[in-house]
Amino acid sequence: MSERQAGGSLRGFYMVFGAVALIGIGALGYNLVSKAMGTPATTLVNLEEVRDDMRLLRDMAVPVVKGDPEAPVMVVVFGDYLCNHCGEFSLRERPRLEEEYISTGKARLIFYDFVLDPTPEAGAFLAARAARCAGDQGRFWEYHDRLYRSQITWAMESDKLGSFEEYGEDVGLDGREFKACLNSDRYAQEVSANWEMARALGLGGTPAVLVGAEGGMSRSLPNYYFETIKRAIEEILSEAAAN
Amino acid sequence: MALAILALTGLLVSLYMLAYSFGLVGQLICGVGNCEAVQSSPYSRMGPIPVAALGVVGYLALMAFSLAGLQPGSKGSRLIPLALLGGGIIGVAFSAYLTYLEAFVIRAWCQWCVISAILMVLALLAAIPEAKRIGESK
Repeated sequence: MSERQAGGSLRGFYMVFGAVALIGIGALGYNLVSKAMGTPATTLVNLEEVRDDMRLLRDMAVPVVKGDPEAPVMVVVFGDYLCNHCGEFSLRERPRLEEEYISTGKARLIFYDFVLDPTPEAGAFLAARAARCAGDQGRFWEYHDRLYRSQITWAMESDKLGSFEEYGEDVGLDGREFKACLNSDRYAQEVSANWEMARALGLGGTPAVLVGAEGGMSRSLPNYYFETIKRAIEEILSEAAAN
Repeated sequence: MALAILALTGLLVSLYMLAYSFGLVGQLICGVGNCEAVQSSPYSRMGPIPVAALGVVGYLALMAFSLAGLQPGSKGSRLIPLALLGGGIIGVAFSAYLTYLEAFVIRAWCQWCVISAILMVLALLAAIPEAKRIGESK
């Protein structure tokens, strides 16, 4: 190939390369801008297609986990941010559970959202998304508890988004990042999948607490009190020790 | 030349996935498969690092080396052909592993991951003659 031919073909290449780069960056930029100007997802995503596929549903349902992944016991909790018993569990019972079993590596806590009233007006769906957005900055549990502490306040507010943003500041979140997450449909799919899974499991209310050995079947507890959970954990631990 | 364009396309796909993993884009555009199931699975991260970030680094390196290989002074270079072939082989092996996870572990497909895997195979195929051309002595 002569130098002139090579130069011409390189020019052609750079034109194609530039065009691909421009189109790609344009499309990416459009996605970023429309997301930044987006509106928050405030209700369930339609997951009818996967409703009957428990395996796929399990993959899509994403819990928030606390504690040692190798812990022998799992404490699975399905909670709703508008349920006052869930608030009692989180603020009164969970600290004892954490102190005695989670921080000692005997059990791990697995939290799934189960939004009982998924209408946008109720705000519980948005609250569940907000907690997960806080989780992006490593503050899920702080935010989760903050929501429960002010449950009555935000439940009565008409501007729930404003309250949730304010709570973000309270727990030390980067406001810009948090707002961007909140004002989008981020985690709408996960919260919706958790809801579908709770329904598929036939759970009737919240908080639903299930305790089981790692890799085994979990059994549903009659209430969420620490003493009940403790008994169930101790049973599993003593069975494991006997084997 | 084809390699640089393939690497650029792969880079754009990886950037899109990375932006999604940081919550910067909304719902993924996903005509085929179930991208959200794959992207929200634990396999979408290697420790704290999103897999998409590895794609960005890999494609960026491939693109940089392929562009360097187009420069007149690169003729006879040993480093560039080695980087193109080595990078392509590692990329294809990693893509094969991710495709295996989608097919047998997650049991859901993400069209962007499949597109990236195809781009990587094409990039390796394009890297062979490119590396040969650059590696030829002046």
